[in-house]
Amino acid sequence: MEPIRKEEIDDQACGSLAPKSKPCPRPKPGEAAGGCSFDGAQITLLPIMDAAHLVHGPVACAGNSWESRGSLSSGPSLSQYGFATDLSNNDIIFGGEKKLKDSIDYIAGRFAPPAIFVYSTCVTALIGEDMDAVCKEASGRLGIPVVPVNSPGFVGSKNLGNRLAGDALLQYVIGTGEPELEASMGVNLIGEYNIAGEMWDIEKLMNQAGITLLSRITGDARYKEITWAHRAKANMVVCSRALLGLAKQMESKYGIPYFEGSFYGAKETTYSLRQMAFLLNDREMERRVDRLTEREENRLSHDLRPYRKILKGKKAVLYTGGVKSWSVISALKELGIQVVGVGTNKSSDEDVQRIADRVSDDTEYIPEGGASRIIKTVKERKADIMIAGGRNMYVAMKEQIPFVDINQERHKAYAGYEGLLRLAKELVDSMANPIWKLASSPAPWDKEGSYDR
Amino acid sequence: MSKEKLNIPDYNTLFTEERYVQQRENKKQFEAPCSDQEKAEALAYSKSAEYMEKNFDRKAVVINPHKACQPLGSVMAALGFEKTLPFVHGSQGCNSYFRSHLSRHFKEPTPAVSSSMTEDAAVFGGMSNMIDGLQNAVALYKPEMVAVCTTCMAEVIGDDLTAFIGNARQKGAIAEDFPVTYANTPSFIGSHVTGYDAMIKSILNQLFDRSGLTAAPGTGEEGEKLNVLLGFEPYTGNFAEIRKILNAFDTKYTILGDHSGNYDSPATGEYEYYYGGTKLADVPKAANALGSLVLQKYTLKKTQEYISGTWKQQVSSLSTPLGVKATDKLLAAISELTGLPVPASLTEERGRVVDAYADSHPYLHGKRVALAGDPDLLLGLIGFCLEVGMEPVHILCSNGDVEFDGKKWKLEVEELLASSPYGSEATVYVGKDLWHLRSLLLNDPVDLAIGSSHVKFAAKDAGVPLVRVGFPIFDRHHMHRNPIIGYQGALNLLTLIVNIVLDQLDNNESGFGDLVR
Repeated sequence: MEPIRKEEIDDQACGSLAPKSKPCPRPKPGEAAGGCSFDGAQITLLPIMDAAHLVHGPVACAGNSWESRGSLSSGPSLSQYGFATDLSNNDIIFGGEKKLKDSIDYIAGRFAPPAIFVYSTCVTALIGEDMDAVCKEASGRLGIPVVPVNSPGFVGSKNLGNRLAGDALLQYVIGTGEPELEASMGVNLIGEYNIAGEMWDIEKLMNQAGITLLSRITGDARYKEITWAHRAKANMVVCSRALLGLAKQMESKYGIPYFEGSFYGAKETTYSLRQMAFLLNDREMERRVDRLTEREENRLSHDLRPYRKILKGKKAVLYTGGVKSWSVISALKELGIQVVGVGTNKSSDEDVQRIADRVSDDTEYIPEGGASRIIKTVKERKADIMIAGGRNMYVAMKEQIPFVDINQERHKAYAGYEGLLRLAKELVDSMANPIWKLASSPAPWDKEGSYDR
Repeated sequence: MSKEKLNIPDYNTLFTEERYVQQRENKKQFEAPCSDQEKAEALAYSKSAEYMEKNFDRKAVVINPHKACQPLGSVMAALGFEKTLPFVHGSQGCNSYFRSHLSRHFKEPTPAVSSSMTEDAAVFGGMSNMIDGLQNAVALYKPEMVAVCTTCMAEVIGDDLTAFIGNARQKGAIAEDFPVTYANTPSFIGSHVTGYDAMIKSILNQLFDRSGLTAAPGTGEEGEKLNVLLGFEPYTGNFAEIRKILNAFDTKYTILGDHSGNYDSPATGEYEYYYGGTKLADVPKAANALGSLVLQKYTLKKTQEYISGTWKQQVSSLSTPLGVKATDKLLAAISELTGLPVPASLTEERGRVVDAYADSHPYLHGKRVALAGDPDLLLGLIGFCLEVGMEPVHILCSNGDVEFDGKKWKLEVEELLASSPYGSEATVYVGKDLWHLRSLLLNDPVDLAIGSSHVKFAAKDAGVPLVRVGFPIFDRHHMHRNPIIGYQGALNLLTLIVNIVLDQLDNNESGFGDLVR
């Protein structure tokens, strides 16, 4: 594969194009670290639902990651197939390029996808497979794009993988097609992965405001729509830690302005829609957006009333990554919940700044993971609820802490106005469940109570 | 909760609402998708016999694999020992996958750390990661033992674990006498069961060597004890069941590798990292036990060789004891190893299960079944099917590859099938994936599929109900808490399967209900 230069990685890694930008924090050996770059690249590209995604490496790289995310599709499901070249001992010694070529051919022949993404893994990067050459040759021969994604696990964190996937899109996909319809008003959504169908709520709002969603990068995307993303009039970066670099490069390459926004909470949603209309530079649209957001906010405010009553004054610890680290704080504040602790492990400097803008001075920052660290904050701050991802969920259960899952495996969509209502209900339900009372009271014959909150 | 109940559907139903359906329709103009007819044709073709042939001709590409990798098994093995921290040497993502995989199956936290190698390590080797990693992990998580396994990355660059751990001691990153066991477990060889075996063997071997004891089976206090090894065991309930059986025999025993504590800990309000597990001091003593009972003989291949070779101990090995006959063999093995008679309580329990079999047999007789799973589990399931009159038709073992003694296992499966007229329809597929299984289910239909959650898509496509047994089971809760081994396990399996058959009968009947079953 094309060697990845370290400076290059460090440059993109923390989102800045400045020559001396700070390198991404290196994972610390001996901790229960999060996902790798391979994971990150897959997360970014798997939501291109009609494409085939082939993992070039031992079968378990595909097996471990297969069926683990709730990125939903409104149509094609090819991206949900777990394709792998299944390298074994002999292939490590003699090379797996033949197997890769044959795998690509088989997928092209049997599944006729619009494109095939091929992911390198630790193994294929280390044994020096020339994946780019195989993909290029196959692409020419088969007449469909075969896109190499050079993001083996060992190059770094999950975030870096998101970025490397963005690079693959810039290098091989964006700018290779033209929209079939007039797209003078189109906006791209970058870094939105349609977890539990959140994109669809956003899309509905954009439709109502008359804003064309040109390319989804990449929640519920189709390959073709990404090829014409360069024709957009504006980019909205939903998860900046992941794909800010892509927006920046599209700005310098195609002159597309971008902004960073979120759809968690009514205020953020309204701001994002307004910002879109502003960048599209259309007065009429701005007026439409104003009418729409006012109507939606009023309705939401009415619907939220019973929940706000219950949630007011409650305290939460939030442990999540990327855009959610700050945007969910706004959402929670609107519900009357105070965030007393927040994880910053996977946040960029800008994210941390945004967190700081949204929390009070005595909020605790949790820089590193590890269940015990999060739990400590929950206990010390007497938080009522913990909001985090699946890997921390079962620890919360042990500690009898009400919990709401905010990450990729959840079944509920929290974006937009309706999403905030769902989040409110989820929070209330989680805290109200009778199990917590049962769990925190000792057995009748046991005088000592357990964890007192 | 408030009176204003809000109906918020889960996404499974939310997006079937009219407005979302409409939204999707609108999208089609951008997508230029193929027509519904073309889609239907392609789908029909993928279900045809013609396609099945092409599918089975497939040499390159695995589609929907049904196995995990070695280090995942090693992590599970390490968690079977008291205060032991699994340490995955390699790039960090692998460890994150293992933790979420195991947690999603057991619905419990999985403590495990990684040495988080990056590209510097690819060039210079992972020694400094190992040294820093051990130092940090011991300081942070305060284990009493660390169990190191490797990922592909460490294996491809050829990291030398023995030397690295030695250097870590020399440099004072860990104390000289702090136990660190290790196993080489690249993903491109074997699967989760091989990795489990490698780590168990390594732990037994290294703890025994460190102790300075000599093996003298059947001597001293240990001479009355039995060692029991369950293997890569996705059911915490199976540990409880084997304990129940051994206690009924009134024999003393040591379970070597018991992760049921870690994966079934109480919610007390205080999470600790380590629960239960085999006591480290019991491991070297196990060399002097009167014998070893192995419940997954294909999984624990190297471990058995070690026990019989180095500890010079009598080893009695079985496949996962599912069903009455396999449990009979289990009891016979215990009886033979310990010299104790089978207790009457178990004989009585057996009778009750046989009675339950008899009650249910009309609904199971002649049911055609597809099975997918790990080698030892499959042998158990086949045995169970045959004894209740179900006919195994497709038997698929993704991880029974050549390195894993595929041939020997296949011969045993075929022998077992040949022992009953109900086995005559079966074909055994070694090293095939779930896309192969899909073709099989569509072209040679069966009544039931038995396997892990991953089988559900193939089963759904073919309209076959899935009985969830094995690993991983992500999409159902608490299945692992109920044992499937022993007589109680046979009863549980029977209940699970027969009720799915009865559910189907109920769902399919039109008009009149039928309560007489």
